[in-house]
Amino acid sequence: MIKLENISFDHCLKCTVCTIYCPVAKVTHLFPGPKQSGPDAERLRIKNPELVDASLKYCSNCKRCEIACPSGVQIASIIQEAKWNYVRKGMFRPRDFFMSRTDLVGSIATRVSTIANFVLGLSLVKFFMEIILKIPMKSVFPSYASGTFVNKFSRLRKSQAPYANRVTYFHGCFVNYNNHRLGRDLVRVLNAMNIGIDITDEKCCGVPLIANGYLEKAKKNGIYNIRSLSRMQRANGGKIVSTSSSCSYALKHEYSHFLKLDNSAIYDDVEYITKFLFDQFEAGNMPAMNPVPLRVAYHSPCHLERLGGVIYTIDILKRIPGLDLVILHSECCGIAGTYGFKKEYYQISKRIGSQLFQLIEHVNPEFVVTDCETCSLQIESNTEYRVLHPVNLLAMALESMPEA
Amino acid sequence: MKRYETEVIIIGGGVTGAGILRDLSLRGIPAVLVEKDDIAYGATGRNHGLLHSGARYAVNDLESAKECVSENRILKNIARHCIEDTGGLFVTLPDDDPMYHTRLIEGCKIAGIKANEISSKEALRLEPHLNENIMAAIWVPDGTVDPFRLAASNILDAEEHGARVFTHTEVTEIIRSDGTAVGVRCKTRDNDVIELYGRVIINASGVWGQHVCSRAGIELAMFPSKGSMLIIDYRVNNIVINRCRPPADGDIIVPGDTVSIIGTTSRKIDYDRIEYLTVDDDEIEVLLADGEKLIPNVSRTRALRAYCGVRPLVAVSGDTEGRNISRGIVLIDHAERDGIEGFITIAGGKLMTYRLMAEQTSDLVCSKLGVKKACSTHKTHLPGSERKVRPGMNIKAFTGIPNSVVGSTLYRHGQRVHNFLTKDKKNYRLICECEMVTEGEVEYALKKLHVRDIVDLRRRTRVGMGPCQGELCAYRSAGLFHEYGSATPVESQKLLRDFLEERWKGIKPVLWGDTLRESEFTYWIYQGLFGLGNIKE
Amino acid sequence: MAYDCLIIGGGLAGLTCGIKCLSEGLRTVIISSGMNALHFSSGSIDVFGYTRSKEPVNRPFDYIDMYTKERPDHPYAKMGSAGVREAIDFIVPQIARENLSLVTNGDENHFHVTGIGTLKPTYLSQPSVYNERIRAAWENREPIAVLNFEGYRDYYAEMAAEQLKKQPLFQGVDIFVDSIRLPYYAPTEKNLLEFRSIDLARVFDTEKYLPRIAGEIVKKAGNARIVCLPAFIGIRDYETIHRKLEEMTGRLIYEVPSLPPSILGMRLDNALKSRFAALGGEFSIGDTVNGGEIVSGLLDHVHTCNYGATRHRSKYYVLASGSFFSDGLRSEFNKITEPILGLTVNASQKRSEWYSEHFFDEASHPFLGYGVETNARLNPFDASGSPVENLFCAGALLCGYDPIREASGGGVAIATGYKAAREIIGLCRGARA
Repeated sequence: MIKLENISFDHCLKCTVCTIYCPVAKVTHLFPGPKQSGPDAERLRIKNPELVDASLKYCSNCKRCEIACPSGVQIASIIQEAKWNYVRKGMFRPRDFFMSRTDLVGSIATRVSTIANFVLGLSLVKFFMEIILKIPMKSVFPSYASGTFVNKFSRLRKSQAPYANRVTYFHGCFVNYNNHRLGRDLVRVLNAMNIGIDITDEKCCGVPLIANGYLEKAKKNGIYNIRSLSRMQRANGGKIVSTSSSCSYALKHEYSHFLKLDNSAIYDDVEYITKFLFDQFEAGNMPAMNPVPLRVAYHSPCHLERLGGVIYTIDILKRIPGLDLVILHSECCGIAGTYGFKKEYYQISKRIGSQLFQLIEHVNPEFVVTDCETCSLQIESNTEYRVLHPVNLLAMALESMPEA
Repeated sequence: MKRYETEVIIIGGGVTGAGILRDLSLRGIPAVLVEKDDIAYGATGRNHGLLHSGARYAVNDLESAKECVSENRILKNIARHCIEDTGGLFVTLPDDDPMYHTRLIEGCKIAGIKANEISSKEALRLEPHLNENIMAAIWVPDGTVDPFRLAASNILDAEEHGARVFTHTEVTEIIRSDGTAVGVRCKTRDNDVIELYGRVIINASGVWGQHVCSRAGIELAMFPSKGSMLIIDYRVNNIVINRCRPPADGDIIVPGDTVSIIGTTSRKIDYDRIEYLTVDDDEIEVLLADGEKLIPNVSRTRALRAYCGVRPLVAVSGDTEGRNISRGIVLIDHAERDGIEGFITIAGGKLMTYRLMAEQTSDLVCSKLGVKKACSTHKTHLPGSERKVRPGMNIKAFTGIPNSVVGSTLYRHGQRVHNFLTKDKKNYRLICECEMVTEGEVEYALKKLHVRDIVDLRRRTRVGMGPCQGELCAYRSAGLFHEYGSATPVESQKLLRDFLEERWKGIKPVLWGDTLRESEFTYWIYQGLFGLGNIKE
Repeated sequence: MAYDCLIIGGGLAGLTCGIKCLSEGLRTVIISSGMNALHFSSGSIDVFGYTRSKEPVNRPFDYIDMYTKERPDHPYAKMGSAGVREAIDFIVPQIARENLSLVTNGDENHFHVTGIGTLKPTYLSQPSVYNERIRAAWENREPIAVLNFEGYRDYYAEMAAEQLKKQPLFQGVDIFVDSIRLPYYAPTEKNLLEFRSIDLARVFDTEKYLPRIAGEIVKKAGNARIVCLPAFIGIRDYETIHRKLEEMTGRLIYEVPSLPPSILGMRLDNALKSRFAALGGEFSIGDTVNGGEIVSGLLDHVHTCNYGATRHRSKYYVLASGSFFSDGLRSEFNKITEPILGLTVNASQKRSEWYSEHFFDEASHPFLGYGVETNARLNPFDASGSPVENLFCAGALLCGYDPIREASGGGVAIATGYKAAREIIGLCRGARA
């Protein structure tokens, strides 16, 4: 029986452009490239599922092939689908299980963050993680915050009441468990623009679940999120914003294209934060900003490129006075979500990122700026530089404002 | 001029000629086959490749149905690697007369065809892309057969039993001595003349049979009927889908290797047009419209190309008006009919019955030659089909080579993959990326399978048959012709140009959408980047 | 409004237009749907290569003047040869700023050798394809070695060499063939699924193997003065690598384009995009403009696939969305349209008229000449036939020329892209004044 939901492979003209821009094929010859693993092989897999090649597991789903494709072929999605349709299924894979349950692991770890961070840092633990979970010893894990952003926000909730204009904030796991500061900075920035924030019940957007083949679970999360967000959105009448480029991409596109969920209730209202800010600034709602005299290098994450959202982030950054902005040549950092945390891809992941790391060192900024949480982990663990989110920079521009 | 002597000369390298060559060789009779173009060039390679269960004939032509039933069983055994046992469905659409459904079931019962009435729901489960509005469905043991492979492996087997084959060699004259045909004079592609002498000459040239007979001074009236088909980029169905109504245009979709084929139209044409066939725009419209009714996805998918063939229908008993056209097998001993000894014509029939036609012809030859050896083609496996081809089991034997390469090659060559799919570097170099043809396979085809140009190579390997219709693989293949000594560098450029011209014939009628985009791209490369139209010969 | 100019399409036309706009201080954004057709080009820029009777054109600008008199619907007629020249004089130094020089033979065309050994007239080439020393070596009929890398299947030296020998220019010249082995490149042979020009270009880019490759070349090149290699000697800083290789081998290194992807074309693409970024341009590539609204003769906004109903606005717009390949034009069963805005196209609506009998027909194919109609300022016409005055069209989208038969694709893209920018700059200045 053939499943033919994504027939975009039919548009492939065999022009080979995707093979040029595949970061994985660039560094390893274990991967035959997106053209071969995607549209070419899909015709064969439809003929006979046994013709699937194991090499497609090397695809990191960075989507640079889809960005490059002049024919609109959803190459990465085809490969991901093939990976989980034809390759091993059902078996319990402890590493993939835990890695993809960012919300489960996060909610436990934040409760015992000091211990969790300490334990994850122990070399003995790392040793066993390498043996049992096949997570390389050298991996640097995100450190867990103490408590969750949701808890912290409950104390702020009252302060949001006066604002007439409101948005729903999809904070995502990373803000919730690891990076409260980003959430707090967003509140600060939006409040400065006279916009209040609501948050609602949410589950992990599903990106790590998709990447690890837990499609059913991802669908469940998707349905939950669509329902919960649309309810809140109806209540406050505003947009739904996210500070994670990957969460935004999932809510908007992976839900409909890949998981085949009906997200029309939220589709037009989900915005990655910089697009939202761009529209606000354009409409004249721009907070007064103080100069931020920093030299920063901006790295554009793959999924934001795919979303076509990079121009908005750059626009926002350009509006920060005093900022010395260097835009790095667009390269994949190699982490691709959980890909770079896995032993079999660890070296590939580092090799992919090496060009970006060199570029950063060459520019030698005070901070690197990027929109994606796992990109920032990858950059922080492979270079000497600290990484900020564009919203962090905006908050800095407000911070140096003398109180009115 | 070269001169050869043999027992039997066969004119025509279609599946019938190939089948006769094999049959005779297995009986130990020396034989030579002459083909003016390539193996499977004519009607053999220009049909939809349906392995009939017989159900299509069960209502109107019981004899054909019965022939199909028995040949179907035989082919599924002896030609496993050329066949896919897909099963087939006859589906009734709301517009169709429901009575035909009943008549078909009854006809199948009489013909001995295992036809099962199944629910529409079950049909949709078997073939999820079927039109959801079907009213009724019958499951029948249809399958698909790759005619190129079938003809080529008959040839291969015959050669391994001592036969000789000349492709791209056209018979220019039937040499007669008194009342007997004693040989043929031929011209090769390079304009060399060959003379072949034998005791029996068999005209197995399909629709060209009229032409060949005229060279022997014999009148034979063919009534060519053109059938056009449309190739869809990928398999929109995995089961043969027939429309349950009296035979008409656009009533079948056959999955064939990586594509699906919508068949077929039927138009009478003049005999002098048989070399200049084109698919008409209105045929495309009919095929698409009717194909879409069976499988709605058809309209959203790229049409790769259109092609047509000519059914070699013969008028029997001297009828020149065409009233008495036979769709069955026509075996003519011209000694009886026209008083010319040593000359036989075999025509009519269909792809499904090629083996039976070969058997009947060979029996006649044997009686003429006084050879008493029975036919064994119904139980002897074709080369490549010795063992069951089950990719899942066989792929493991080739650890290190990607499954997609092993599996695709197994489809094409069956067990013969062991002759060339080694861990040599050649098998890691892909020439055709759509159909996974490696350099090793091209080398094998060039050296063992009578490949003289890239069009021939396509028939043996599927080079250039995928979505891009030769955009990358045509150039890569052309270079290999030179590398393996089959052509000089400039000749290989001409082969390249001719191949793209040949592909263009089938692309033109479907030049819209992605097919037009693909053609523009191919034109950029071969004319814009390479200037292939400007080569100096 | 944030943008002065929003360009749909990031190919040669769009980028030329963008760079010109930026150089005049306009805020410019390009929304490009996937990569452009430069990736499949020869990397040389043709201005006008063939006359109507298929004779090579010697002096392209003179020919433009002559030709456009007869064919006023040709895009070149909208700026004349002087305008074409101005556009090229603008873009060449811009590209040179990104370390890629383009060489001309004065006002005349020169030839480049194709992957199958034919010669094609062109106007601008990279220095590994045309320069004074190469021309001198050709004229002196110096021996030529045509080399390939063993196992590389996207180029056959024998084909190129034998065809080259048949060209009148090279008759009697000592042309020989050999191949270079790269044993240290063995690991990749395990996966020759992806043994493309790009993989080899990356080997050159590292410069690590240069001395060894040079050694191999010297070994095989014999007495040849010119060594032809398939075009993949580096992408980013290719001129340095080219120079080094020439120094190490003591030969002239000549590049011949092979099957796609075209490294020569990628160099142009890289240089143009880097220039665009360096001038502060904003480039979006993952999204596709799929519609817009024309209100009383002006394009009000466009929207994209990824942003649904969101309206993207700019003062001026440029449509440089390419031909059928790039979906700038779309063909259906019996219909040809401009899919984004439904602009008036000049095309037959009968499929059987779109193509010629033979693939390599002398007359090329009618569909290659189809495209959007514009007025002299490059404004297209909306569905009702009235011009859209804040929208300009450029590049392969335009009707009235056949880029392949004329060998004029690059020139038209640059000239019309530049012209569109000039129009917009003029309007912006007018508004400011």
